[in-house]
Amino acid sequence: MAETVRVKPAAHSALRLSPVTLLRVAIVLTLLACWELLAASGWLYRDVVPSLLAIGGAVYELLSHGEYYFNLGVTAGEIGVALLIGGTGGLLVGLALGANRFLSKAFESYLYYLGPTPKIIFFPIMIMWFGVGPGSKVAMGTISCFFPIVLSVAAGMRQIDKVLIRVGKSFRAGTWQMVMKIYLPAMRHPIINGVRLGLGVALIGTLLAETKLSNKGIGFLIIQAYSLFDMPRMYAMLIVLFVLSIGANALVGRLGGLDSIKRF
Amino acid sequence: MNTLAIARIHRAAPLIGLLVVVVFIVLIEFLIRIGIVNRFIVPPPSEIIGSFKRVIVEEDIIHRFFVTATECLTAGVMLTVFGVAGGVLLHRFKLLQQATETWIAAMASAPTVLMYPLFLVIFGRSAWTMIMMGFVAALPPVILKTLEGLSSTRRVLIDVGRSFNLTPTQQFWKILFPAAMPTIFVGIRLGLIFALINIVGVEFLINFGGLGALINDLAERYDLAGTYASICFVILVSVLFFMGLEKVERWLRPFE
Amino acid sequence: MPISPSTADRAAPSRRTADAILTVGNIDMRFETPDGTLVAVDDVSFTVAPGEFLSVIGPSGCGKSTLFNVIGGLLGGYQGRVTVAGETITGPHASIGMVFQEESTFPWRTVTDNVAFPLELIGMPKQKRIERARHFIRLVGLDGFENRYPGELSGGMRQRVSLARTLASEPKILLMDEPFAALDEQTRLLLGDKVLQIQQDLKQTTLLITHNITEAVQMSDRILVMTYRPGKVKRIVDIDLPRPRTSEIVGSEAFGRYVAQIWADLREEASRGMQDDESRALHPGGARP
Repeated sequence: MAETVRVKPAAHSALRLSPVTLLRVAIVLTLLACWELLAASGWLYRDVVPSLLAIGGAVYELLSHGEYYFNLGVTAGEIGVALLIGGTGGLLVGLALGANRFLSKAFESYLYYLGPTPKIIFFPIMIMWFGVGPGSKVAMGTISCFFPIVLSVAAGMRQIDKVLIRVGKSFRAGTWQMVMKIYLPAMRHPIINGVRLGLGVALIGTLLAETKLSNKGIGFLIIQAYSLFDMPRMYAMLIVLFVLSIGANALVGRLGGLDSIKRF
Repeated sequence: MNTLAIARIHRAAPLIGLLVVVVFIVLIEFLIRIGIVNRFIVPPPSEIIGSFKRVIVEEDIIHRFFVTATECLTAGVMLTVFGVAGGVLLHRFKLLQQATETWIAAMASAPTVLMYPLFLVIFGRSAWTMIMMGFVAALPPVILKTLEGLSSTRRVLIDVGRSFNLTPTQQFWKILFPAAMPTIFVGIRLGLIFALINIVGVEFLINFGGLGALINDLAERYDLAGTYASICFVILVSVLFFMGLEKVERWLRPFE
Repeated sequence: MPISPSTADRAAPSRRTADAILTVGNIDMRFETPDGTLVAVDDVSFTVAPGEFLSVIGPSGCGKSTLFNVIGGLLGGYQGRVTVAGETITGPHASIGMVFQEESTFPWRTVTDNVAFPLELIGMPKQKRIERARHFIRLVGLDGFENRYPGELSGGMRQRVSLARTLASEPKILLMDEPFAALDEQTRLLLGDKVLQIQQDLKQTTLLITHNITEAVQMSDRILVMTYRPGKVKRIVDIDLPRPRTSEIVGSEAFGRYVAQIWADLREEASRGMQDDESRALHPGGARP
């Protein structure tokens, strides 16, 4: 008897949706309904708010053509190379700044204050240096992601609990052992976090450069849709781009175990 | 142990850093003069410094600065009002927070500024395109930081308030809000910086308005030294802006 | 009671020096600060015999932690000599295992991997080192928690992980710096029992740095009392309490007498330290009178 009493509510709550889920569904439905009403009302000039059906169609259209995947590949390649160059450079410079107090006092404030400046304004210079092709886009991505990675690696290295380093030394760990078994694992979170921030800004730097001047890549497709005034296609591309970049960001975090950060 | 000698070297570090930067600039100048670096790709630093006056007088950079500053300020006011209000709202209604916090965090990591062509369609070639872009791109961090500040108020402070029988309104204004203030300001500072970055960026991209557009103008006219000078100017402005915000932040929390 | 260097030497008979496993000889440690020279450790000498439990006790700021780092080989630039089994140390020595005051477990390693850390460094095969680690985990009474992360354990349990990790390196001398300082009184007493039991079972030579009188009397064969700035040896007290001991000894009359005796020595030093702190808080950066 007691058992059935205990089981019953459990079975019920499994079928019932939690209030949070209900609220989420309600918010999404309300937003979509408002959108659709706005689209149907015709208050805004034509096509600024296209109907959901049109946007859905455009997403389908976009994803079913090879052209999109080709341009996605171009952009992803540019961002990948940018992350590789900027990330490696950032990691090395960050390690040097984190390990050496003198270097950090001499140079880190320059990087710290250059970090939050708009990077896209360097694009004209990058075009002069690396041409109008993918080179200048890679350069934009590189200078974008260099700063957050340097700063979080340097800060991460300084934040390592000093006692852990003393533990390593007390057990007479060699330099390589110290790096592999203490420094890098202890800095894992700031490094991953730096890469995550770097990925975000490299994406923005590369894509904005593509919207300004290019003939391929996702940024080019977006600005092309703008100039053709193909609003459903532009929405479709923004939606897919947002999904991809939020996904990539979450993936980097997941790979680095950032979601388990609370356990520590 | 010559710890004192080491301390003295460390005190001189910023000066040595500056010296290295100056030497680097002089070296570039030298390399350009002897023709190893192409002066049509990198103009000599002396020429860039020389063109500052021209950029200020002929290109009316001061006016452009005020255009950009006004856009940033407007976006900043909107960010403060809506961002803080949003954070308070989410803190007040826990269910809403549970439902939407991850969405807002996802938006903070999305390349929002890529929506600028859309904003251009909606708001046209006007200052509002920049203002709205800056506002939308910088809103999520302000909301999240406000929320973080309010929810990380130490439990014991809240209990102190309850022990004095404060009404919920008093509890908010006397305990929660002051305790969250430093974190909220961090959010506003981040928001303003994001707004500045995005506003200058969009000005440059759509070639309209303040400082960003000036860089684009000069680049399109192949005025190399002018382009470099105006880029230096924008960097200078944003670094000073950033430093100023840090000063204000320190002034706002003297007790830490 | 008058204090002279001779009283300090009284408790270190030559027999102990002869077969001592650890000899600390005339250690002097000075730091240059903007306010002048700070003498942290001033001519400190003592020896530890194999299997002995020696505690160094003193008020905060008496140079205990400096001494800990010097003996552990983590701090150079001192005068004097530290020898382990006749060998002068020049850096961290394989025969000395350190347990730190701070939280020092690796948060990214499980309990087993934490304890196996020193074995991993010497290249012991995985299977074997896990077995060894398990042994020491049992020894400190953490069986069942092998695959947990430190973040999932309490402070007392994490400190036991640190202890097991150090024991796993099988040091000849266990060197501990206030390992229970961050714990509450009851956990501290119970953990003291555990350490005592392990120390007695393994006949582990142990040097404990502490500021806690109860803890020192509960566990030690001898207690070395240090003075406040400069840190000198004030007295070495023999603790003639029966072994094996547990925390129950805390209630005995003899225990109380030892505690009172050591407090009498320490009180003067601690109050000097307190006055010093107060004057420094009043005149920050100013020279001390």
